[in-house]
Formats: sequence, structure tokens, C-alpha cells
Amino acid sequence: MRPSVRLLTPEASSRQVSRLLYLCSTCRQQVSRPARSVVTLAQPFGRRHASSDSSSSSSATTPLTEKVRRKIWGTDNPPGLKDPYGGDGAISRALGGSTNENNLAESTGQQELETVTGEDPLAAAASSSGYVPAMTWEGLPTIGHLGRWSDLPPSQADAYSPFVAKKRLVKEGLVALAAHQAAVELALLRSLGKPLTAVCDVLEHDESIFKLIWECKIQPGAEGAWEGALVFPNEETEKALSFVFEQIGGVAEEDIPEATAAEAAEVDEAEMEFDDVEEESASATSSKPIPFFGYDNVQDEGFLALSLDDLATKFAFLKRFAQLSGHFFPDPTIHSITTVQQALEYVHSVNNPKPKKLAHQLAASAELQDLSNVKVFLTRRRAAHRDEELGRKKIIDAELRARGLME
Amino acid sequence: MKRLQLQQWSGSALSPRARPACGRLLYAGLRRQTTVSSTTTDAAPAADAGVATSRQLAQAPVLAASSQMSRRLLPSPPVEAARESAKLAALHARLYLPSRFPLETLARTLVHASADPNADFNNQSLATLGDDLLAYYATEHLLCTYPRLPLTVVFAAMYAYVGKKTLAAMAREWGVELAAAPGGEVDPGLLQFHRITPGTSLNTGPITGTTRPNDDRTSWRRGMTSRVVYDDHFGEPTMAPGATQQSTSNITPTVTAEEASATFVRAIMGAIYLHAGRPAAKRFFSQHFLSRHLNISELFNFSQPARDLSRLCAREGFESPVAKIISETGRKSRHPVFVVGIFSGKDKLGEGAGSSLLEARSRAAVAALKGWYLYSPLDVRVPSSMEEDGAAPWKPVYIDPGEVVV
Repeated sequence: MRPSVRLLTPEASSRQVSRLLYLCSTCRQQVSRPARSVVTLAQPFGRRHASSDSSSSSSATTPLTEKVRRKIWGTDNPPGLKDPYGGDGAISRALGGSTNENNLAESTGQQELETVTGEDPLAAAASSSGYVPAMTWEGLPTIGHLGRWSDLPPSQADAYSPFVAKKRLVKEGLVALAAHQAAVELALLRSLGKPLTAVCDVLEHDESIFKLIWECKIQPGAEGAWEGALVFPNEETEKALSFVFEQIGGVAEEDIPEATAAEAAEVDEAEMEFDDVEEESASATSSKPIPFFGYDNVQDEGFLALSLDDLATKFAFLKRFAQLSGHFFPDPTIHSITTVQQALEYVHSVNNPKPKKLAHQLAASAELQDLSNVKVFLTRRRAAHRDEELGRKKIIDAELRARGLME
Repeated sequence: MKRLQLQQWSGSALSPRARPACGRLLYAGLRRQTTVSSTTTDAAPAADAGVATSRQLAQAPVLAASSQMSRRLLPSPPVEAARESAKLAALHARLYLPSRFPLETLARTLVHASADPNADFNNQSLATLGDDLLAYYATEHLLCTYPRLPLTVVFAAMYAYVGKKTLAAMAREWGVELAAAPGGEVDPGLLQFHRITPGTSLNTGPITGTTRPNDDRTSWRRGMTSRVVYDDHFGEPTMAPGATQQSTSNITPTVTAEEASATFVRAIMGAIYLHAGRPAAKRFFSQHFLSRHLNISELFNFSQPARDLSRLCAREGFESPVAKIISETGRKSRHPVFVVGIFSGKDKLGEGAGSSLLEARSRAAVAALKGWYLYSPLDVRVPSSMEEDGAAPWKPVYIDPGEVVV
């Protein structure tokens, strides 16, 4: 029994029990329970409202908490909620309302229950719109399993395709290619006024488009400004890339309704074919994974000076760069990066981590390698090494063998 | 006679490129049969041996680098180990050796002949050259600086400058550590030699097998003048080469750490002369040997100084010396002090103080003799300074008739 409720329960008064005998609160309550009907009049806060044989009708309808509340406020109409201590909570009320509004489409069990009872008007409305209640679980969407999950066939939800590339780029030239491509794409989207992160919808361009991107140069303005940084090799490239990137970000789909239905169908078919081609090319590239179609480095390195001070640009660039390069950027690193160069340096540091052991670090340091009077050993020098170095070990070994202590 | 171009020899014969490991391994199988090579007395045979090595190496097949186990079979570390040793590089830098002095040669100077009997890989030839250089530079310095020194003092001063004990102390001060036992696996930066067996008596009685005539007459007196002719620059008998060969053919030669350290220092001197040339060798000598303070006046030991002084004055035509009391105090006390001066005519030759008249006179005579023998010209030039470019014409140095013979 909770202490707050315990205060409300009646206890046997001191008149009912012997004065010489001490009784604890629990015992007094136990004493009072069977004698409740006897001591009803003596208890000002008895649970008269719960007893069926109560004479007062008002006390029967008014709960105890309400009475206490009225007493506290000193009036029969206390301020605040109508029933602050009873009924459902605010959360359960809110939940109950939402579940009713959602028509219980997902929770089939509850739906069945309601259809059986037939009291829900919403269910009736659903049945009027051709809704057929399920009698078995066959064909219903399922969540979870009843054991032996490994026997279940793979579903569509089981397939997982990560956002970033599965394989991280290690070579410096390929990482630079990814950064250059991301920079060119973002510069294009900026010039076209598109949402910057929309470019992430396209994981890989066609080889011809990639070649056009590769030929573009970036000459950032003062302090790495992106405005006017993109330099196209010729007009055709600019037109082609503008046409391609116009279709990125859902604008192309908006254009489709303007065309006729037949054209739309053709476009759909073309897109389907294009998708097929893409899938084929994807499968072909997966069979022989040549990233960036065999290009091994960038033409110019002007993109390194691009500024990432703008948060939206930084987010879009790092998202696209992570998608292309497969390198994840942790939050502190994202916070500290201000230029494209720093992002590349981070990837370089991830690809070439410092050795964990101090000995390896020292052995790799060029400063110590230049010192001819310093020798770094990768293992601990022990007494045996010292003996070997002094020429003492062979004498010790010979003596141990002579005494039969060593084979 | 045209001077030999030793630097050209050192470049072709002793550069690290000319003596890689394959030539070394070629010798590994043959070295068991080789006897101890004869002591080379100048640089030419060593250079010839180096040239021969480089010739053989051109025909030798390139063998794989020796592993740690096969290194144990070698009597001394292979040549390529010199580049790996930190101790060797540290020693090279500590001695401030010129960059023309390769680490491989420094490693070779640390291999005593008792560790590796092959003369191509031990420091014997370098030590012989270095010993001669040290003796020459020390002798010319002593004789030109103190032309009147008695022969015994010259020998003692020579021993103090370039003697065995001094060289061993220098090697210890340079931080050269000693290997416990020689071998191919040993760090090349350690001095390698076969240690003498504990308990071996070093004083084995009268020395025989020397180059002196009538060597077997042990009771005959060895005169001081004869030492100039027969003995080495310390006045000690030199061993005949045949005697050393006989002794090494039976058992493995063993040496003391002092002897091995001294050989190492001599070899360093010879190697510097070969690789860096005469000026560098002379600079090395003046920086490491002449810079050591030696109080020559303490090397004298007169038994009868007053008699020697009177003989000296008679020989030089001075008036005979007369001792006179200059001052005295406390003649009747427990600690009297007499100050006696020795006069030759009106010139005071020396002055000494003592607790008795005889002691004071003896001290005065010693002071007078030291004043005579320790005469040093103001402008000292040694003969080797004439080898420098643009040297001034040679003026003969002062030659003294010598000490008095009583």
C-alpha cells in the first residue's frame, strides 16, 4: 500500500484498543477493517462512497479525492480541471484519440476485435468502403517472428544498401577525384539554384558525364568563394552539364506532367531502360570495380582552396564527399573543417594512421632515421640481447651445454 | 724523393665501396688456413692488400647477406654491420673524426689481431702505422721543445705521451667499451680481442727473443745509450718477429685489455693518416696527445745532484758551483729552514729550501740541474712543420751535447 493511500485508510482509534498495548498503524488498519460497518460513524474519512449500503447518495457519487479537493479549496466548485485525479491520463487520452483516428489499419488484432464487437463506427465505415476483414494471418504484414527466423525468406526490408560507398578510397588520386567531383557538382547546383544535397540521389554518373565533370576546373575567388569558381573547358560542356544537373533534384519530374501522356509514358520507358542500363553498368562495374572509370587523378588542384565556412555548403560537400569516398566524417572533424583541403587531409590521416606502438612511431620518424647514433628496436632489449651484443652469449651457451643444462 | 700520395691510396683501397661483404665472405672459408700475416711496417702493404681485395671482389659472386647465425661463425663483425651500429656512429662523432674517415675503417680499428688473425680485417697494419706516427710526432715534439733532456727522461716522457697505459686511458676516456669475446655477432662498436686467461702471470722473468744481440745473457747490463740503437722508443726491448710467430702458432694469442686499447688508439691514428691525410693526423695528435698535461720536471730522478752539477759546470766551462746560505730560520729550533743557493761565480744557478743544510743544498742543485735540462727555445718548430704548404725556410734547431755522464 502506498503511503499516500495509506493515509486515507481508516485506522482503529485509540478508544477501540487497549491503551496499554501499542499497536502499529498496520495493525490498527487490520483491526478497523472487519469492524468497518461498526465504526462507520466514527470515521470522518471512511470510504463510504464505495460501500453499497451507504445512505448518502451525494457521498456515493462524489469520490473521496473530489471531497478532499473541495475541502482544500473551501468551495464546492474548486478551480482547475474537472477531474484532476481520476479518469485517464493526458497521454492515454491523446493516444486513444489518435488510434481511433488512424482507423487501426496497422493493428489487425485490435481491428478484428472491433469488427467482432461491431461497435466502432469507423470500422463500419471501413467495411462500407470495401474493406474485408482478415480471418487468418495469411497475407497480413508481419513484424517479428515466432522463432526460426533464419528459415524465413529474405524480404525487401532485409536488403540494405548503405548511403556511403562500401569500399573506402585509399589512393590519394582517387580521393582527390571524389573531392573534385563533389566540388564541381555543388558548384553546378549552386549556379542552377538547386538544393545542394540533391546530388546525393545520384550515386554514380555515366562515364561521359563524369568525363565532363573531370574536365571542369575550379578557380575559387577570394578566400575560397564558390561564386564563379567553376570554369568549363568549353560551351558544350557547360550546356551538357547544365542539362544533366537540371534533372537532378526532382525538377525533371515536375516537367513531365507538362508533356503529353504518351511522352510521359515514353519518358517512363526511357527511364526504365536507363535504369536497366544503369543496373547493368552497376553490375558490370561491380564485377570489375574500377572507381572513377579508370581516372587516377585530378587535372587541377584549385578545388583545394574552396571554403567550407558556409554550413549548408559544408554539409552538402561532406555528405557528397563521404558518399563518393566512403569515408565517414565524425562531428568534431566536421566542425573543424573549413576548407576542402582540410577534408582531404582528414581522409589522408585516416588512410595513413599513426602507428599505435611508440616503437613503430619512432622507427618511422625520419628525424631519428637520420641520426646514425640512434638505433630503434621494435622489441624490448633484454639481457640476452645485451649478451649477444657483447659476444658473451655464445660463451654462456657453450658453458650451459658443457654442463648438460641446455640442449 | 717524391712524397707518397697516401690519400689516393686510401680512397681506392679503404673506401667502403671497395670492401663490401661479398669479399668478406669469400675470405671466410679461407681464413682458417691463413697464418698470421707478417707485420707491415708502412702503409704500402696494407694498401696493396686492399687493392687485391677489390680485385677479387670484382670476380666474386654476390652472396646473400649473412644472417645472425652465420655471423657467429665469423671471427669479427662483417663489414656491412658497421653501418648498422649506433655505438660506432656515436664514437665517430665523439672523436670528431673527419667525414672522409668511414665507419667501416673505424670498425676495423676496433678489431685486434688476437680476435681476427686475418690482416685484412684486423687493425694490426693500421696500428703499426699509427705507432710510428705517434712515436715520430711525440719524439720531435720532445726533442725540439726540450733539447737538453736526459735520455731517461725522454724515454719516460715518451711513455707518458704515447705509452701503452696512456693510450689505454685515452680509449677509456673516449668511451670505447670492450666486448666480452670477439665474434661476428658482436656490435662493431665494441673493442674486440681475445682476453688473457685469468691467472696468467704477466711477469715471466727475463725477456728473451728480442732484437738485441746476446739476448740470452740476461745478467748483462743494458746501457742507456744502447737502448737508442736496439730498443723501441720507450727504451724497452722489441720482440723479434720470429718469436711472436712461434708463440702464436701453438695457442690462440691473448692480450690484456690495456694492450688492445692501446692498439686501437694507434690504429685510429694510422687510419686518420690514411684517410684524412697528414694535416688531420697531426691535428688529431695535438688535440688528443699533446693537450694532455705532462709535468716533465717531475720525471727527473737525481741520485747525486751536487756531483752532477759540478760535472756539468766543468763540462760547460762554468766556474765550479758553490753553495751559499741565503737565509735561515730556527737553526736551534725543532723545525729549522735553510734556504741555500748554488752559485757559479756571481750567477745563481739554483735555490732550494730544506730542513737541513745538506737537504737544502741538494734541492738547490736539483733546481739548478732542472733549470739546465728543461731549457726550451722560445720559438719551437718541429721538422714535420716543413711539410705544410708555404712553410718558412727551416732553421736548424738547437742540439745539445747531451746529459752529463758521471
